[in-house]
Amino acid sequence: MFDLAYFSQTLVNGLSVGCIYGLIGIGFCVIYNASGIVNFAQGAFVMLGGMITYVLLTTLHLPMIVAGSIAIIVVALLGVLIERIVVRPLWDRNATMFVMILATLAVQIVIERTTLILVGDQPKSIPVFTDLPPIRIGGVSIGYQTLWIIGVSLVLIALLALFFQKTLVGRAMRACSINREAAALQGIPVSRMLALSFALSAALGAIAGILLTPTQFTAFNVGTPFAISGFIAAIVGGFGRPFGAFLGGIALGLAQALAVFGLGSGLKNVAALSVLLIFLFLRPSGILGAAK
Amino acid sequence: MMSESRSREKILEIQALSARYGQIEALHSVDLDVGEGELVAVLGPNGAGKSTLLRSVMGLTSSTGTVRFRDKILPRRDTSAIARSGIVLVPEGRGIFGPMTVQENLQLGAYLIGGRGADFERRREKVLALFPRLKERLTQTAGSMSGGEQQMLAVGRALMSEPRLLLLDEPSLGLAPKVTAEILETLGRLNRDGLPILLVEQKAPLALKLANRAYVVSNGRISAQIDPREIKSHADLAHHYFN
Repeated sequence: MFDLAYFSQTLVNGLSVGCIYGLIGIGFCVIYNASGIVNFAQGAFVMLGGMITYVLLTTLHLPMIVAGSIAIIVVALLGVLIERIVVRPLWDRNATMFVMILATLAVQIVIERTTLILVGDQPKSIPVFTDLPPIRIGGVSIGYQTLWIIGVSLVLIALLALFFQKTLVGRAMRACSINREAAALQGIPVSRMLALSFALSAALGAIAGILLTPTQFTAFNVGTPFAISGFIAAIVGGFGRPFGAFLGGIALGLAQALAVFGLGSGLKNVAALSVLLIFLFLRPSGILGAAK
Repeated sequence: MMSESRSREKILEIQALSARYGQIEALHSVDLDVGEGELVAVLGPNGAGKSTLLRSVMGLTSSTGTVRFRDKILPRRDTSAIARSGIVLVPEGRGIFGPMTVQENLQLGAYLIGGRGADFERRREKVLALFPRLKERLTQTAGSMSGGEQQMLAVGRALMSEPRLLLLDEPSLGLAPKVTAEILETLGRLNRDGLPILLVEQKAPLALKLANRAYVVSNGRISAQIDPREIKSHADLAHHYFN
């Protein structure tokens, strides 16, 4: 028998995790637009966001806001470091997309294994931001962390829109995505834009990880599944379209939720990959149309 | 005119510039200079290496040799730094940011001064006075404009940085004769106001009307230097092209 409350609950959960996929997908797009690189280390940023916050909370007993902020800054700096020591040298040598993907996958594995050595293989979690009983609407229970995830995601989307539309640096990053050569001809420091795009993407990944960890957990190996989901979100939204990626993330989250509702949780990933295949066959340019 | 031009202080000196695309050498040891206030044309058939010459000056291709601008040697592969030194290239195909508005394109042309403020407004007004048609199009996306308007935007955007040397690659390409004449007339006016210009152009008669001096490029080499006053007929031009 159709259970409306369970169905609605599943959709709310799907929306929440979809926002996370969307943020990761935006990270893919920001780097791709600035450089043409698909960065598969994006999942590592998500994992590190939650993990560093956990370490700061448990070892230094910092307040959540401080621990989270430090984690975001550290991960953003790590993004710049990866850009400088791995991506830039290959980019300067005009490495192919294939080489770039392999290099960023290698970075993902190095970060994953280093985390395993440093913090072990046990899952870690952090407390929810607002420790209150969930809000109940009808038979649907909405946790405060879900509201945090959706709210912060929407605020980030608005801030990103302002950044890309209203600031000169944001416009310069868009210019790089449209025509890198022409951007350089205007004196725009294209390589600095690349570093900035890594910082921005890494910070977005870290925020996604911090938001998500209280509702699930984090462990050294959660990055890859998130990277794949974020990548699918970016393709579904239209690769290179940050706001399309967010829509793609929500579509993916909802599709997974519906699969769980109708077919059971075992088919969650089948649903995700089916969404990808459907888009690749029927609308390869994604919801908003691929940027390139 | 040639001797007068020669006496001007050289601001751009290109020495032994060679460039290659993979195994193919597109430019062979080219020497060229532009004097203060000069408009120098680079002529030659399609595929001769004219665009490669400009791209090499701007560090967009792999090249060897020396490019000196106002007594400073330019880096060979740092386009942003070269643009910051005061040289701006309007590339072949215009290179406008199509999905962005005309206003945003102009702001990015003034990236080095922050794309805002009184100085930006002054420069923008100057550009809009040169190309009044852009004024009506400020909020329109650049890609939706006609080819001529896009070329005006490309030149206008380049002027927003108040360059000390303007390089233009085939500004007449794909444009109606009337629009071409309008754009070249504006370039001539800018040059008379003191802006040095290095103009690559396939339509030699048009370029020679404006130029103080011209180089002919053929098979990646400078095959001739021309004093435009000596060109009285197509036969004279053909002589330089095919000599």
